[in-house]
Amino acid sequence: MSNKTVIPFGPQHPVLPEPLQLKLVMQDERIVEAIPAIGYVHRGLEKLTETKEFTQNVFVIERICGICSFKHALAYCQGMESLMGIEVPDRARFLRVIWGELHRMHSHLLWLGLLADAFGFESLFMQVWRDREKVMDIMEETAGSRVIISTNQIGGTRRDIAPEMLAKIDSVVNEVKEDVERVEKVFCNDYTVKHRMVGIGVLSKENAKLWGAVGPMARGSGIAEDVRTLGYAAYNELDLEPVVETDGDCYARMKVRLREVYQSVDLIRQAIAKIPDGPIHVPEKGNPNGEVISRVEQPRGEALYYMRANGSKTLDRLRVRTPTFANIPALLKMLPGHQLADVPILILTIDPCISCTER
Amino acid sequence: MFDMIGNIFKNLGTKPATRCYPLEKREPFKASRGRVKGVEIEKCIFCGICSRKCPADAIRVDRNAKSWEIDPFKCVICGACVEVCPKKCILMDETYTQPSTAKDKLTYIQESKEESQSQAG
Amino acid sequence: MIENVQNISVESLLRYVHDMLFNGYRFITATSVDNGDGTVDVLYHFDKDLEMKHLRITVNKQEEIPSISGIYFGAVLVENEMKELFGLNIKNIVIDYGGHMLLSDDELEAPMARQITIINKDKGGVPQ
Ligand code: SF4
Ligand code: SF4
Repeated sequence: MSNKTVIPFGPQHPVLPEPLQLKLVMQDERIVEAIPAIGYVHRGLEKLTETKEFTQNVFVIERICGICSFKHALAYCQGMESLMGIEVPDRARFLRVIWGELHRMHSHLLWLGLLADAFGFESLFMQVWRDREKVMDIMEETAGSRVIISTNQIGGTRRDIAPEMLAKIDSVVNEVKEDVERVEKVFCNDYTVKHRMVGIGVLSKENAKLWGAVGPMARGSGIAEDVRTLGYAAYNELDLEPVVETDGDCYARMKVRLREVYQSVDLIRQAIAKIPDGPIHVPEKGNPNGEVISRVEQPRGEALYYMRANGSKTLDRLRVRTPTFANIPALLKMLPGHQLADVPILILTIDPCISCTER
Repeated sequence: MFDMIGNIFKNLGTKPATRCYPLEKREPFKASRGRVKGVEIEKCIFCGICSRKCPADAIRVDRNAKSWEIDPFKCVICGACVEVCPKKCILMDETYTQPSTAKDKLTYIQESKEESQSQAG
Repeated sequence: MIENVQNISVESLLRYVHDMLFNGYRFITATSVDNGDGTVDVLYHFDKDLEMKHLRITVNKQEEIPSISGIYFGAVLVENEMKELFGLNIKNIVIDYGGHMLLSDDELEAPMARQITIINKDKGGVPQ
């Protein structure tokens, strides 16, 4: 038996878009234990929200995460709306679904690109990111910004989408769907890709539940849980079935995300077909008071917001539990027993978003 | 294995997805939130709503000196000020801020009925 | 406002959490809220088939809280975070960073807790 060595993985590593360090205790090429070190991008946003007015907080919250900014704002706004008893207009609810699903599409496409990059398939990475650009363009055209689209506000949305734009979105997402169908074949059937992912990082259903995995990670292990099925925004009026794979390995998690891109396309088209006319915003009155919990399904999984207000303009406490925060413990338990070369792929398949995690 | 080769041949036949950036620029989308260009100072009534609503504390309004100042490096370009201004006198531009070598603030001072603009450092 | 909250005592926390595990609940996260009067509320959120349940304990700042990370490993990060940012005295976390998960050495202790900032003039400190 050889001695154990500790290999630091990250915080700067080609596959990591964000700073996460893992101290890997290795025995030869096998991992025995993994200890995470985070804290490189802790910004204290939870504290900051206690000093801003609750309406301004929307803009702070959006900046928790660059990729799912819309969903963060949505969770916050929904919490505030239920505290203050605001009834959101129907059109705004549908607009929220459309933007939310666009966000999921661009996040998953980004992730697929990063995954291709992680196993060294550069041309595939470029291909996916090129397709993603179409989604980003819609976002900029409808909302005024590519990533932090800032269209949510308490009581509705800030912008409307014109009917001709809706028609355009419909055709563009269809185009993206065709593009993704083309690369899907590569992701699902390519020999090298399969070789890197099938059977790696198996997370059983029981363990996924025990370690608190959420989102595509849990769904890849056969847990059919999707917070969207609770029917917030306009999801209750749309046809939605959680995407589930049962193998629990990296390949299954990738397939979940691929299929969720199609699901998003489908949801966007359903929402465009059903969107009613009407106002998009009702003004809020007074100040919030009380406690509330709000949950949304982000591209990476379930996010939980806890808010406590005291009847003044600022909140007492705003707590954000982001999906990566819940997925890291499962990652730590998954790593032991794997080869060092599999670590990048394993980390990527939890879709880590470290700035979310640390806030 | 051959799925990717199909894609590759298709890509060889099409023109690049990227642009030759500095030579060829994309038209910005209308209604894009590019940057806060400034304020139409002669319309401003110095109510200060914009500075109170700004989540980044980027705007400073002085009622007595009749000055309106924005720090473009603090501004997160959320557009909240543009929406809340009762006179709709804050201008949003769809082009992005250019890089700059100095952290200048944009200051506008209203002179009695005359408009003026000065750049302060 | 929040449904299904159960107020429990610190001593019975582990027993309740064990029950949750036994009944097949998934641990979502824990939340600590400073009440401003020297006590801290800690809420533990659980979920089963998208149905949430919460346990609430109210502790004094210095009071010992047993760690639930031995039962639900997923609580490791959140307990470390509460320990650092609120200064809670959580005992026996499975991976204990000793207050250095997010913060470095020279940072304010428990920055999320309500506190009066003490400016140390001798060291030439600046208020945070
Ligand atoms: S809100 Fe408009 S009118 Fe009021 S101070 Fe700002 S720019 Fe001037
Ligand atoms: S755009 Fe937003 S951040 Fe910038 S000055 Fe206006 S309110 Fe402030």
